[in-house]
Amino acid sequence: MAVTRCTKMAYSSADEMVFGKATKPVKAGLGLEIGAGYTTPEVNYAPRPEAGASKEKLIKEYERITTDIMARMVQIGAPSVVLETEHVQQMSNHPDWGAAVAHAQKTIMEDYHDEYGIKCALRHTIGDIRESRDYLQLRGDKYNTFIEAFEQCAQNGADLLSVESMGGKEVFDYAILRNDMAGVLFGIGVLGSMDMEMIWSDIADVAKKNNVVAAGDTDCAQANTAMFIAGGLLDKNLAHTIAIIARAISAARTLVAYEAGATGPGKDCGYENSVVKAIAGVPIAQEGKTSTCAHSDLMGNLTMQCCDLWSNESVEYHGEFGGTTVQCWSETLAYDCALMNVALDSGNEKVLRDMFAASDMYRDPQGYVLAYQNAYRVGEAIAKSGNDIYVRAKNAALESIAIVEEGAKGKLEISRFETKALADAKAAFEGLTDDKDKFMSDCLDKYKKEVKVFLPENYGL
Amino acid sequence: MEVKYLIDIDPSGILVRYNVQMEKEMTPEEAAEELYPKDSLIYPVAKAIFEGEEDDVVEGLQKAIDSGKDPIALINDSLMVGMGVVSKLYDDGVIFLPNVMMSADAMLEGIDFLKQKAGKAPEVKGKVVCHVAEGDVHDIGKNIVVALLRANGYDVIDLGRDVPVDEVIETVEKESPLMLTGTALMTTTMYAFKEINDKLMEKGYRIPFACGGGAVNQDFVSQYELGVYGEEASDAPKMADFIKAHGDNIVKLREKFHKH
Repeated sequence: MAVTRCTKMAYSSADEMVFGKATKPVKAGLGLEIGAGYTTPEVNYAPRPEAGASKEKLIKEYERITTDIMARMVQIGAPSVVLETEHVQQMSNHPDWGAAVAHAQKTIMEDYHDEYGIKCALRHTIGDIRESRDYLQLRGDKYNTFIEAFEQCAQNGADLLSVESMGGKEVFDYAILRNDMAGVLFGIGVLGSMDMEMIWSDIADVAKKNNVVAAGDTDCAQANTAMFIAGGLLDKNLAHTIAIIARAISAARTLVAYEAGATGPGKDCGYENSVVKAIAGVPIAQEGKTSTCAHSDLMGNLTMQCCDLWSNESVEYHGEFGGTTVQCWSETLAYDCALMNVALDSGNEKVLRDMFAASDMYRDPQGYVLAYQNAYRVGEAIAKSGNDIYVRAKNAALESIAIVEEGAKGKLEISRFETKALADAKAAFEGLTDDKDKFMSDCLDKYKKEVKVFLPENYGL
Repeated sequence: MEVKYLIDIDPSGILVRYNVQMEKEMTPEEAAEELYPKDSLIYPVAKAIFEGEEDDVVEGLQKAIDSGKDPIALINDSLMVGMGVVSKLYDDGVIFLPNVMMSADAMLEGIDFLKQKAGKAPEVKGKVVCHVAEGDVHDIGKNIVVALLRANGYDVIDLGRDVPVDEVIETVEKESPLMLTGTALMTTTMYAFKEINDKLMEKGYRIPFACGGGAVNQDFVSQYELGVYGEEASDAPKMADFIKAHGDNIVKLREKFHKH
């Protein structure tokens, strides 16, 4: 499938962006439409550690999880739900395992849909298994198994296909721990985008053939790594100003899935999704205050600002006072969605959206840049050079820096360390060439020497 | 120009920027300057370590050797002193992790240089085996642990990622480390830690097994006898130091490092 680059914004202004509505809504699964005027909870879960011991145990675990969620949604009257199964490595390495789990889950969901009419869809997020012990192995035998996992899941009940792909991570991991901005840009913006183009062209073909939805990727492996290393306000592992630069670049990478044929909804842990929605108009999943079971992110409310699916990221399946974890978290998600849907029905969605954004946007530079008005600006910086994956990623970085600098003159407080890290990063980006070929050549020389696990042939180089 | 929003709030009533409030008056460079050794041959090496300047480290070491300093002694007397400044300022919250990583790179370069000059290996504080759980290829956390251990003077056997359980056991038998570390991102892979624990126990090993990362939590690690949970990568060298000072009593290690 040919790649069509995004060079224009899907919305003419940031103010047009709200939760529950996308310019290109997506029909999926059993009666569900995503981004069509209402929000839907998306529940994500992880099996207990011992459940991975055998195929039968895993299937049983997912059957329990699925039944628990569907039953709770019916018990509280939720009109719609999406279930996301993020593959454990056994399910992607053995595509028949993933397929069997998808089939078991979908059978249960169909029963609930038939009996109660609940709108629902099943997302399967295939694990990016393209690695050997020593290297990423993005092409070759592993790739065939990887695509086979999508194929089998699509044939056996998955309605939405996703992945958190790893392309570029070997260079990024090295660079982010050394404040190396060229490496961050090369890893996410260039290598990551090149890998995305390959895999999403193929995933979109699988989806089309099986009449399911190619739903999109996230830069979890890189931008979220930066966010997690950055941590909370008192952590000193990485400047939050650096983490938001990685995030801005990640939007240019995540966008590639849609340019290669995906239609959304984007993955919940793609905090760059507000930027992507602004450019591509696709519906998005997001997580925030309801993903504290998985991690802390400093923007619990802000991420709801223009979500279409509202997710809990991932919770291990076990018991709580209120039921199993998936029951507790799905109920919480459903109440959040009910609030957003009331706002949509009553015409108050922009007020609620702005309250979500305002409550977190000054908490930290990351939330500030991702607040929808600023996210839109990052989107414009990407789209204006949309045909050049390097220049657009660099533009995104520079725009995020400009936004933080402007914010720091106003109500956004940042520490002196973060200010210095921002200034150093700005100087690094401003010192980079505008010529993609020269940048590629410089980076190939440098990182082949410095990162022993970086194999250019993974990227067809 | 800051973008104007529909809702204009006073953020000071919504959140508290504790980090900005607590910021130290001194710059990291000023704080480091107070900690550097005064010896005119050692000072430039320690400073180059802090700044992560590998070439300057080697240049400073060469000058020290030319002035009669013993290459092997320089490891402890200059490189580790420089890393000591870095570690202290990191622990104090004055500098960030990338500063430590760059300093550690420079220190390792310096150690290689001194080993070549001396023609022999230096004594180390102790040996630690590090690995990422079988089935798991996410190794950035392990890489940070390895760098911090090395920066603190430990000899690290880095088995890498997706390491089979039996290979971990064989390495422990062969190397007799003072500690084993394991990291994992996913719940289904961290179950390998329990297998490692059981096999080590069967073979009669009572080595502390420090575990952490992504989905790993203290409750899970507490379920197996040798497990000690580390919330931060920077706990790893502290655990190794604790073992050197107080022995490998796992109950005591848990008392010290388990936070919940």
